[in-house]
Amino acid sequence: MAETMMLRARRAWGGAAIFFQWSRRLRAADFLVLLGLAGLLAALFQFARHMNAPVRPAAAIDLSAAAIPAYALLSLLRGLIAFAISLGFAVVYGYWAAKDARAERVLIPLLDILQSVPVLGFMPGLLLVFLALFPSSNAGLELASIVMIFTAQAWNMAFSFYQSLKSLKPDLVEAASVFSFNSWERFRCLELPSAAIGLVWNGMISMAGGWFFLMISESFVLGRRDFSLPGLGSYMSRAAADGNARAMALAIAAMMLMIVLLDQVLWRPLAVWSQKFRLDESGSEDAGSSWFLGVVRRARVYALAALLIRKIANRHPETGTGERKTGHEKERAPAFPVSRFPSSQAFARLLPVVSGAALLLLAAAAGLGAVRVLYAWRALSPERWLSIGGAGAATLARVLVSTALGTLWALPAGLAIGLSPRLWTALGPAIQMLASFPAPMLFPAAIAAMRAAGVPLSAGSIVLMLLGTQWYILFNVVAGAAAIPADLLEASRSYGLKGWERFKNVLLPAVFPYLVTGWVTAAGGAWNASIVSEFVTFKSQVFSTWGLGSLISEAAERSDIPTLTAAVVVMSAIVMVFNRFVWRRLYAVAREGLWMTA
Amino acid sequence: MEQILCELRGVSHDFSLPNGKVLRVLNDINLAIYPREVVALLGPSGCGKSTILRILAGLQKPAAGAVFHHDRPLSGLNPSTAIVFQSFALFPWMSVAENIRVVMRAAHVPEPEARKRAAKVISLVGLEGFESASPRELSGGMKQRVGIARALSMEPEVLFMDEPFSHVDALTAESLRAELLDIWASLDKNPSSILLVSHDTKEVAYMADRIVVLSAQPGTVRAVVKNSLPRPRDYRSREFHALVDYLHEIIAGHEMPDIPEAPAGIAAAIPMPEPLPRASPGEIVGLLEYLDARGGSENVFRLAADTNRQYGRVITVAKAAEMLDLVDTPKQAVVLTPEGRRLVKAPPQERQDLWKSAILKLRLFHEAYEGLRASPEKALRSQDIMETIVLRMPYENPDRIFDTFVQWSRYGNLFNYREEEGVFSLIEAQETPVA
Repeated sequence: MAETMMLRARRAWGGAAIFFQWSRRLRAADFLVLLGLAGLLAALFQFARHMNAPVRPAAAIDLSAAAIPAYALLSLLRGLIAFAISLGFAVVYGYWAAKDARAERVLIPLLDILQSVPVLGFMPGLLLVFLALFPSSNAGLELASIVMIFTAQAWNMAFSFYQSLKSLKPDLVEAASVFSFNSWERFRCLELPSAAIGLVWNGMISMAGGWFFLMISESFVLGRRDFSLPGLGSYMSRAAADGNARAMALAIAAMMLMIVLLDQVLWRPLAVWSQKFRLDESGSEDAGSSWFLGVVRRARVYALAALLIRKIANRHPETGTGERKTGHEKERAPAFPVSRFPSSQAFARLLPVVSGAALLLLAAAAGLGAVRVLYAWRALSPERWLSIGGAGAATLARVLVSTALGTLWALPAGLAIGLSPRLWTALGPAIQMLASFPAPMLFPAAIAAMRAAGVPLSAGSIVLMLLGTQWYILFNVVAGAAAIPADLLEASRSYGLKGWERFKNVLLPAVFPYLVTGWVTAAGGAWNASIVSEFVTFKSQVFSTWGLGSLISEAAERSDIPTLTAAVVVMSAIVMVFNRFVWRRLYAVAREGLWMTA
Repeated sequence: MEQILCELRGVSHDFSLPNGKVLRVLNDINLAIYPREVVALLGPSGCGKSTILRILAGLQKPAAGAVFHHDRPLSGLNPSTAIVFQSFALFPWMSVAENIRVVMRAAHVPEPEARKRAAKVISLVGLEGFESASPRELSGGMKQRVGIARALSMEPEVLFMDEPFSHVDALTAESLRAELLDIWASLDKNPSSILLVSHDTKEVAYMADRIVVLSAQPGTVRAVVKNSLPRPRDYRSREFHALVDYLHEIIAGHEMPDIPEAPAGIAAAIPMPEPLPRASPGEIVGLLEYLDARGGSENVFRLAADTNRQYGRVITVAKAAEMLDLVDTPKQAVVLTPEGRRLVKAPPQERQDLWKSAILKLRLFHEAYEGLRASPEKALRSQDIMETIVLRMPYENPDRIFDTFVQWSRYGNLFNYREEEGVFSLIEAQETPVA
């Protein structure tokens, strides 16, 4: 007994000694990483305190510059927590849809619908649920805000994960079967790695999507009740309402800084790291580089943490200690823990049952919701429906005009940038930053400028939409232009194709499929953005113009649930019908290669 | 008799085509693997040899027949096999060592034992020093060494190899074959036997004790050849050549049968159109050019080696040419016919006309051409052709035949075909330039 105590002590001391040895050799990199960790912990702590504080629906926002760091940290935490939830959701939802054909038929169209519902469509329901769950603390309000951010992040990630699972490399799948991987090993060694790159890229886009709606996710009005959570979004809303130009500029700068920081500390390193999950087995392409990833990899704390984690993970499951018996490993013949995860066959038997039950639950919830919504719709007169439809047409026109306007400048610009690698290295990073900046933060300034120029919001909201969605067109055209085969360009040069002829016969056909993708995403974004671009608060004044977006925003403010739900449903319906009959056809045209062969 | 390790009894298998048709890929296969032998499945691509391997491994359930493992019906995966894949199937995000360790972890091999085995197989296949390399950094040959090491680490009773060296360059493949046999001979226990799938006659003659020759469409066992040449075998020895020749004869005898010429009038009475082999006009004319440059005749396996093609592919092209009466295929030879010679010597315009008259002798083209001319709008929709193919050739893949149909008729300038609308139309006589 005493002997084992001694042993244990020595082992503990040994561990400490190792740590000291390590710590003596800590580098600057370690302090950076530790500092970051400490900052994050402090922020979490503050966040937790705020969560537990008595409920205060409308936090007073301090517009001084000194308040900004704390607000930015809170917003950052909300965004990251929402992102973590989105990631979990994406994995579960995508896995479910990919593994069960029955669920797939329901879940994938549902994802399309969810994607077309604007954030405000979820807001009243979320508030209702979370405020009821946490009546006396801020937690309910916080969670509602986080889930609103989540609704702007989750769907494309879920779709990406689903698609990765559906397009696993067949030979790797077969290898996993032959070597009898259980469902967990399959997930960890095959499915998750195969999906990693898609998840990282979509995560980047999702995070930007979340920031886009930060302002309404942090401060919103429901039935004359003002809700506002301390954060950068609320700060911006407050500053815009007061017409405080200095505070607005500060908020924009802080947001920009946050985005740059996240890019450097999170996305760039992730993008570089995820290159190891490329599926093409050929040589090492230029994976880019990340100074931060370098720091993390150099940092010894990281290695130490990995060591610790491995030690904990290797704890023997039977004894619950990390002790390693030397000498008689042979005796414990099946010492390897018999897997608690179901084998693939057992899993295949279990899945339909679980999935079926979950589907039933989902159907019941959807049915209940539908009944309630239909019941609420009794209050709507036929004229009201007509006016909702009319508002839909007005917003549709704006969406189309904004997409067209975006194309007008983004197509030539994208071609120029995509065809010149030098231009791309010079402008690319800046454009990426700009694109992930939440455009609604610029709306107050844009409104002020348009008022000075005498532009009405009915036309001005098109410009506001454009601010957010033009980037999708630009990026896709850039990608398309960069993918034009060099020999095609050389051929057109050698045959003297220039100007319009070159554009019509070579460039446009080559980038057309990419352009269509850009249009679909830009139009989708414009629909979602209509709720903030047709209804803007500036200097305590509400500017709004007739359209589905402003209808939704107003209905949410008045807590007019029948109109809100009706408008959201109409918006989803228009988006879906348009996807089906316009975008999908254009895709088909692009895929047929008519343009390429013309 | 020795105990059988695993066995197929009367196994047949079907594939469903996208159009709902069922295609028989394997028919009544009987195959047993005994201890301490190398068995090879030899056949052209599409003969279902990889399917046989997958059924034996328990990855696929056969449509009919039974799979046995040590005399007991197999349910689920075959526990005593491991596969070396044609495409390597390494996890690109894991190092060489991790690729090997992960499969042992999945098989619940205790950690210390796994470490021992990993070290052993890595040294066996000569991967020392590459443990932490990523598969991306390795050449094809090195990747397949990892694939072999990974399979050996499972200590399988039967090592399955699915065209293991076809994605490896020829020289490396040669050394890997020899090394693999050395490893197999040096291990006193598992793998007891090796099941090798291959389309390469030399490879199977070098490696196998027993060669199962399969024929295609549907895959059936054509012959089983015992190979008792002493090891290590010499590619250049006379006995080796004789064996390879013998294998060639079996394949050629079945894939290019010498059917006696039918009396005139009989052939036309057969109502079924001929399935078109999947060969492009370019390949067929290429074959004619090749033969013409070599005096009009060549051995089909020699041809395959010369053109760096699988012999299955060459046989398909030769069959297509034979169907058009452009070549003849006595035994293993491919011989240019007078028609074939005329076509090869003709200038482009005439060549097209000769091709046109050659394909019009085939029922499918003839019917389509007549149908088109008889139709009031002088046009046919692609669905009409497709329907004919599906109805009259129910055992073939209609999309492939349709593709070949379009390619061949375009080469002969038989129709105008606009793919976007799916419409065949007649080519107006005026359109052809008059000299």
